[in-house]
Parts: sequence; structure tokens; C-alpha cells
Amino acid sequence: MLYVHNTICFSPQQIYPDTELNQLTESKDNQLLVKEPAYSTIPPGVLRRMGKAVRMSVGAALPLLKEVPQPDGIIIGTANGGIEDCIKFLNQIIEYKEGLLAPGNFVQSTSNAPAAQIALITKNKNYNSTKTHRGLAFENALLDAAMLLEENQDGCYLVGSVDEISTYNFNIDRLAGCFREEIVSNRHLFDHSLAGTIAGEGTLMGLMSNQPAGAFAKLDALQTIHTTDEGLVLETLKQFLQKNGFSGEAPGLLITGENGDARQEKYYQTTESFFPESTTIVRFKHLSGEYCTASSFGFWLATEILRTGKIPDIALKKAGHADYRKILLYNTYQGLQHSFMLLSAPEGRM
Amino acid sequence: MSRIMITGMGIISAIGTSVMENRESLKNERSGISELELYSTAYAGILPCGEIKITTEDLNKKLFASPDPTITRTGLLVLHAAEEAVRDSALTHEQLTSMDTALVGATTVGGMCLTDEIFHDAHEKISGSPYTSSYDYASVTLVAQKRFGILGEISTINTACSSSANAILFGARLIKHGFAKRAIVGGADSLAKFTINGFNALNILSRERCAPFDRDRNGLNLGEGAAFLVLEREEDVKGKKVYAELSGFGNSNDAFHPSSISAEGEGPYLSMDEALGRAGLNATEISYINAHGTGTENNDETESRAMQRLFGTPPPFASTKSFTGHTLGASGAIEAVYSILGIVHQELYPSLQFKEPIPSTRFVPVKHYRQQAIQHVMSNSFGFGGNCTTLIFSKV
Repeated sequence: MLYVHNTICFSPQQIYPDTELNQLTESKDNQLLVKEPAYSTIPPGVLRRMGKAVRMSVGAALPLLKEVPQPDGIIIGTANGGIEDCIKFLNQIIEYKEGLLAPGNFVQSTSNAPAAQIALITKNKNYNSTKTHRGLAFENALLDAAMLLEENQDGCYLVGSVDEISTYNFNIDRLAGCFREEIVSNRHLFDHSLAGTIAGEGTLMGLMSNQPAGAFAKLDALQTIHTTDEGLVLETLKQFLQKNGFSGEAPGLLITGENGDARQEKYYQTTESFFPESTTIVRFKHLSGEYCTASSFGFWLATEILRTGKIPDIALKKAGHADYRKILLYNTYQGLQHSFMLLSAPEGRM
Repeated sequence: MSRIMITGMGIISAIGTSVMENRESLKNERSGISELELYSTAYAGILPCGEIKITTEDLNKKLFASPDPTITRTGLLVLHAAEEAVRDSALTHEQLTSMDTALVGATTVGGMCLTDEIFHDAHEKISGSPYTSSYDYASVTLVAQKRFGILGEISTINTACSSSANAILFGARLIKHGFAKRAIVGGADSLAKFTINGFNALNILSRERCAPFDRDRNGLNLGEGAAFLVLEREEDVKGKKVYAELSGFGNSNDAFHPSSISAEGEGPYLSMDEALGRAGLNATEISYINAHGTGTENNDETESRAMQRLFGTPPPFASTKSFTGHTLGASGAIEAVYSILGIVHQELYPSLQFKEPIPSTRFVPVKHYRQQAIQHVMSNSFGFGGNCTTLIFSKV
């Protein structure tokens, strides 16, 4: 489908500029907030006016665009990018009883603002799209990029994800029952089987092309499905692996989006049970927290394992055999939206 | 790669609750822009809008045997239009639930139409409204996913006011690349305190009916609605009614300003030019342009400049936003339906309220309904963030 070249990931854990996953950053009040860098590439005046989602995505994209100044397109997945500005504007509407309002928050509230701002700052007039399909927004962006690379074999695309925790969407999701009722540390997220998880946020930006040279990883295939039936999830997985050349065997490494929410355990257990006993299993939601585009953190982790050949201890759920050249990444958002991604080391690596 | 055919259409807007009603209004030059009746906002009676005169409660009753309290007005509009499109294309349950049927929705407001409820839920500590899982963009697409039992590729797109044009483009590409055999594509947006106040704060809402491409235009009217198309591969539609072909599309970014288009209309020019290239057409072969034509100072001037650059003198063009208001994320799909209707019935729909041309270009839009031979129609959608998309539909 595509080769993953350089990526930049901002997450609650220490990843950029130096990666140190094994020193776990702990959650606070069931939230894992992103470690934001100094944003030295963004002029301070511009930075001040940016909402968090825009700031994170622009901050992660600009260093990559020093290498490739004019990618052939910018495609970002975000389920709620701009939510902070959105609700700030709502607050204005209510507070000033629909009087004279400042439009700044309104303009930044549309979720295409991250992709649009990157285009604006870098004067990129090429293809530009924003996918907002909740738990599959990042997968949609990857699929779009894969199709663009079919159409434009020599192309290079900036593909990414971003979602933010605002006090507002945290509160709305909390009322919807997404998070643990009691405060739990991410260090103990998997200790007890209870309803709810912890919130997270982050951004991943990456350059993707058809060129294996210099690539960290290859995305071989991607499959999504909407269902609450774990049997159908399993059937989809079987067909997906079969279609992609795994008859009778399975990838040596399984990365899952297990998030400590008892209501979603059955999907992860079903998927894990399909893999042989010798499979290495890795999980990451205690590092990233749960958010709509959290699968992009799993995607980053897969590319990092393929790049370094090492699995951070803190992400290891079960050690198995040491063949990590092929990885299956499975994630579900709220047990309705599911994605499977197959990643492998580019030819000639490892 | 397969050619993409349109085999079904559905629409609900201020000028009708079906494809047939919308066409009647267009033919009879009957605008749907009126005083707000159903929305509680300080601007009711001041800012005219393209409002659908059916309450949310009645829409819910019409679409659900027992009304679903979690579904927003935007979600109901999606369902109304998508059901008409699916019926029109006579897609079977088997087809709808097979892995090769895709669904691509689009919206700029999504469930945020519930301004007061979301305010409540963002600040409430104890108990939420029934809508806590219905505010995001995907929620409105997922209403249709659930109704039809779609298992194939599903996406929701938000590129501001070009959202549903990009949904059509994305659906077509899913088919061309073999990720689907057919796709249900479109978008929806409801009126909302949120957008009325947002556009009002930008000083681009007119207190009269909007006058696209008129010298004295003074802003847009907001509207609401939804439209969906069924796209299928040419090889799968033998014996089926086919309305038109989606022959070209272009997507570019103006990269100029968060909420206005560059003076020379660079983004609009590039998206129109790319669409022509993909369709393999010369500019002279376009029979009609359904312009973005919002009625704002900035859009109509820059879109005219872009048309001038590409066409010299453009073919007949008009903005049907003078009928429906600007339906934001729905407008690309709504205007796709109008573009296709023009091809099917060989007729041109006008721009209402036009009097005097813009001095710099002197372009005069189609002022009255008329019949005319039409081969290729171009439809433009431009949005905040510089997101420009152009679609071309062709007679088959």
C-alpha cells in the first residue's frame, strides 16, 4: 500500500525529539496529556493564536516538511480537531446571548483547520483532505494516501492524525461513560476489569510514498469494519490475513489497542485467541490513553519496532518468538469501529 | 479503472423533501429562503435562512417507527436523503450489507447543531443529555450505517463547505481502486445557533435574500439540507437507470487565508483545471457551471476571476444557493443533484436576485430557467481553510 518514511509523534510519553518509552509518564485524573515540545519552528505570534490540535499538528508537520517541502497532498484524520475552539465559541454564544462575538474561535473550530493551516503555512496548493470518521479517521487518511499513491506512483504525501483532550469533550465523553468512574493510574490500567478507560491525545505526522529506500516500515494492507459482533470481527480478521498471504500462519507480532475497558475486552480476547501461543503481544493504550485516532499511536509504535527491532518492555503484554518482521495492528473504538493493519519491514531491512 | 455512474439520488432542502420537489422549485424559480420559524435564535426574523419547514420531532417520527431520542436533526436529514437515494437506485438488502458497498458522509457541523445541549453536556457534572454520543461528525454517517447495515468502507469527511463534494470524490476513488463496487455518498448540515452566530461574527450574512454574482451582493444566507448519490461501476449498471457519469474531479488548496479566497482565485482555478484534465475535456466543452456562488463579496469576485482565467468567457453559470441558502457541508452534494438533474432534463437553473454584474468581470449568470442541450456540467465547492473541490458530471 505505502512505505512509511520519517514520522513525528507527539504523545503523552517521551517520544520527540528523543524516545524514552520505558520511563512511563503517569496519567492524572484519568487523562494523559501530550508532552508538547517548544515549537521552535512556529513564529510566537502565530503560535499564540493556534488551538491545541492545530498547534500539535503544525508543530509535528513542519520539521518533516523541511525534508520534503511540497508533498503532493496533505491528509489528516481527526475526529474532534478544533473541539476546544468549537466549545469556546459556544460559550461565547451563550454568555453574550448571541450578541457581538469574535469570530476567531469559530474559524478555528472546523476540523479541517490542521490540514488547512499546514497548507497555508507551507503554501501547499495540492490535494488536501480531512477525515473525521471517529475511531477510523486515521485509517481513512491512510487509505486515501494509498489510493493517491496508486494514481501518482512517484508521489509523496503528508499523512497524519490529531485529537485533543479539552475539558469539554472530556466531560461529554465522561457523561457518555467512556472513562473509569474511579481515578486509575495508567500504570494500573490493566489490573482490574472495569467499565471505562482513560483519556489521551496526540498527533502523528508521517511522509508516505512508494519508495522503499530509506523507509522505516511498509503498510501492506488495511481493513476496517463496523460491527458489535465479535464473531464477525474474527471472520474479518481471518479473511484479511488470508487475502494477504497468511494461510495457516500469522504475523509474529500482534499489537492491540486494548484499553482496560471491560466492555471491549471480548474483541481483543477474540483477536488474541486466533493467534498461536508463540505470538508476541504488545499493547499501548496505557501509554497513549484512549482517543479516536489512538490507532495512530499503535501505528507509530509498529513502525518504531520495525525501525529498531526492539520492543519497549513497558508495551509488552506477552513475550513470544522474536520474529517481528510482520506485525498485525488491531484496534477498536468503542466496540463498533474496528481496524486491522498489516505492517512489515521494508525489503532489505532487518 | 471503471467509469463511475450515478444510479440513485436523494435530497431534502428548503425547496423540497424529494428530488422531484426540488426540481419543481428550481423550474418555477421558487426560493426556499425565508424567515426562521423552527429555530430559537436571537436572529430569527432578522437573518433569512433556507430552513426546512419540518420539525425535528416530525422528521424523527417519519423515519423511525418509535422515535430515536439520540439522533440529531443532521442525522435525520442524512437518513431522509440517503433512503431516497437507496430506494431510487433499487439497491437490495444483500447489496447494502455486502463488503463491497461503501458509505461516505460529510458534514461541517454534525451533531453540533444542538448548540444548547452541547453547552449543557460540556459543563454538566452529573447527568448528560441523550446526545452525548451524537455530537461528532461521524455520528451522522453512523445513523445511515446502522439503518442500512453497511459493512464495507465507511468514511466521514469535513473539509468545511466543500465536504460533500469531497465525499463524492472519495467514494468514486474507492470504487476506481477496487475498495468498493458501489458507494452511497453525500452530506448533510442543519441550521444551528452555532453557524448562524459564527458567520454573523464574520459579517458575511445577508439580511435579505442573497444575490450571487450581483454587484451589490451583501452576503450569504445559511441553509440546511442533505443529499446523497449512489455511485456504481459502469460494468454493474447494465439494464439499470443511469442518470449521468461522474467524469472528473479536482481537489486543491488555495493556501491563502483561513476564511477567504485569494484575489486571483488560485485554489478554485486549480480544482476546476484538474477536474477538466481528469475528465479529458477542454474548457469549451463545459455546458453549465453550478458555481459555488455564496453571495459574499469575496467568493463571487474570486470565483469569477478564476472562471475568467480558465474559460475566458465562461459558459452559462448560476448559483442555486439563491434557492437553498448555503447548506455548508451539504452544498456539494445538493448541487451535484441539481447538476445531474440539469443533464437528465436538459435544462438550466438560474441564479435568483441578480441585477447588475460585478464590474471587474461583467459576468452575467443564468437569470431564468430555460431548456438547453447539456453535455457536461461543472460543480464548484469551496470552503474555509482554502479547501476547493470541483466535480464534473456528463451525459451518458
